[in-house]
Amino acid sequence: MSSTGRSRRTLIVAGVAALALALGTATALLHSDRSAARDGSAVLGIVLPDAQGHEQALTQWRGKVLVVNFWATWCAPCREEMPQFVAAQARDGARGVQFVGIAVDDPVKVRAFAAEIGLNYPALIGGYGAIELSKTLGNDLSALPFTIVLDRQGRVAHAQLGPLKAAQLNDLLSSLLQTS
Amino acid sequence: MKRFPTLAALRGLVRQSRRPFPTDGMRALAMLAALVLAQAHAEGIPSLQPKLLPPEQAFRLSARALDPSTIEARFDIADGYYLYRDKLRFTTEPAAAGQPLLPPGKAKHDAFFGDVDIYRGELVVRVPLTKAVAGETITLHADSQGCADVGVCYPPNPQQLRLVMPQKGGKPGAFVETARKGWFK
Repeated sequence: MSSTGRSRRTLIVAGVAALALALGTATALLHSDRSAARDGSAVLGIVLPDAQGHEQALTQWRGKVLVVNFWATWCAPCREEMPQFVAAQARDGARGVQFVGIAVDDPVKVRAFAAEIGLNYPALIGGYGAIELSKTLGNDLSALPFTIVLDRQGRVAHAQLGPLKAAQLNDLLSSLLQTS
Repeated sequence: MKRFPTLAALRGLVRQSRRPFPTDGMRALAMLAALVLAQAHAEGIPSLQPKLLPPEQAFRLSARALDPSTIEARFDIADGYYLYRDKLRFTTEPAAAGQPLLPPGKAKHDAFFGDVDIYRGELVVRVPLTKAVAGETITLHADSQGCADVGVCYPPNPQQLRLVMPQKGGKPGAFVETARKGWFK
């Protein structure tokens, strides 16, 4: 083999090793992100204005089974899943469930949609910044809807990109209400 | 045929298309990114996590200059994904763009939005400039918004590309892929 060929092969081996190292590091970082995300304090630390402009801190719902839903009026699947959240809030609110919507949207559109579906839980206004916020909570693809459920101890019990099915939501809520 | 999106993305990244990655190194990096993403999904958040592509792979934008006053923009939309027709915006600078020629979309019925036009597969849009600017560099701003059939939507995605306009009678420019990924990093 010529020396050029050998050095090229060395380069390729070095390149593959570097890639493997990078992959390992990236995976390790993802792991650490995930374990950090299981602690729900980042969720409870959120403070955002509601649709009327009043600041709301999520800590006020500490101790509840807290369902935090990132949504937007321009997101059809989000709009489709929200009436079941309204129903669950009405049914389970007194038992300790609290839904909170975080809209990647502006207050005018949010107020109109809230009135349309009879929203019975707070709709906080996050604007497009809320997408970045959801990313820090595990929404790697920045897509909507994205929902995080905290148990009464403030731990992340469930996080999901895409709509929650009604049966899945009900099972989750009843198990979290029973165990905590 | 329905393709498994992540595999489709990997294939798309490694295939020799007429718009290949400039170097093997970049292709390797793209592969790496795809692997890390695949890993992230595998580790994933508990239960029912749909396999999804990042928006820049679900809706791949490229563009070329056809002649001194015309840009052709393309979206390669992955299987299982769609773009909204009325959310597409194309503007250019410093020379301004005229009305883009959007092909008719397919009607999709939405419970809240009514009938909306969407695009799937390959979308080709001609963007005329209001004047011929042979040899000049033009920045194309393309805003788009789309969703996946599994029931998630991506936020509006502003992207931009820089194109060098050809001379009058010259050959069309090469395809350029998106340089800046909006606020998806």
